[in-house]
Amino acid sequence: MNRLLTPELEALIGTEAVYSSAEPLGQASIRYFATAIGADNPLYTDQDAAREAGYADVIAPPTLVCETNQYVDRPRNEDGYIGHQWDIEVPGTRLIRGGNEYEFHQPVYPSDCITAHWLLAEMSESISRKGAAMLFVISEVRYTNQNDELLAVNRETNIYQELVSDG
Amino acid sequence: MADHIDIVEGAQLPVLERTIELADMIAYAGATWDWHRLHYDPAYLAEKRVPAPVVDGQVFGAYLAEQVLGAFGTRAEIRKLSFRFRSMVFAGETIACHSEVSTTEPTSGGLIVGVAQKILVGDRVAVAPAFAEVMIHE
Repeated sequence: MNRLLTPELEALIGTEAVYSSAEPLGQASIRYFATAIGADNPLYTDQDAAREAGYADVIAPPTLVCETNQYVDRPRNEDGYIGHQWDIEVPGTRLIRGGNEYEFHQPVYPSDCITAHWLLAEMSESISRKGAAMLFVISEVRYTNQNDELLAVNRETNIYQELVSDG
Repeated sequence: MADHIDIVEGAQLPVLERTIELADMIAYAGATWDWHRLHYDPAYLAEKRVPAPVVDGQVFGAYLAEQVLGAFGTRAEIRKLSFRFRSMVFAGETIACHSEVSTTEPTSGGLIVGVAQKILVGDRVAVAPAFAEVMIHE
């Protein structure tokens, strides 16, 4: 019998949320991200180098499209966060990040207007070696541009881990 | 950018090291529109009993990608990247990305390369396993 995955939570599987950017990604956003991660790849900042490598313009670092919240239009919450959340409440747990799986389908350009299609894809429960129940919530995010071309897919795992006493 | 390694199974990529100062985390928070207080706010951290600002986990994907692209050059294109978090990393800590070519597969137009990756903080595992699939265009 599940301790955390209630029928009410299970009913949320299949929920979707869509966010469309109000403007193109922009060259400045790309340069800002590249600077922030210490990347010196000329493809991100030098149009001549990018064109020589076969691209139409400078390109974004591959993970940028999956990491930015630039396209989201939610208000900042009490934690200061504006990115997408499913706003799931699981009493008696702490939320930890599990990991990410990215697929990159084509380069992202400064002119791309990004839409993020979120899907609450899966929920499952297991028990840790210490006997704590863990609720796995897997979201699948598809990022498209203004031409409905698929740019990237991000499968993201978050884990609600039951708080158990050591004693 | 580094230029470049021999792409054979077992080849080690140059280790990518970063000491992630709070200023780097603020820059990343701005660049990604992620202003979660966990990454910078002392009062919030004290309330949550977290000892220091927590590095945003997704930045490790960016570092893993840059390590691969730096080693393989501008003809490389990452097709897939996956990574699992093992422990939190805090402001001021130094991470090291370790990567090894695990598979190579010739294909039309180039070479598909599999890269096994992980991120350590000293002896502590921060991210593992991680894996990149890279297309090296001819």
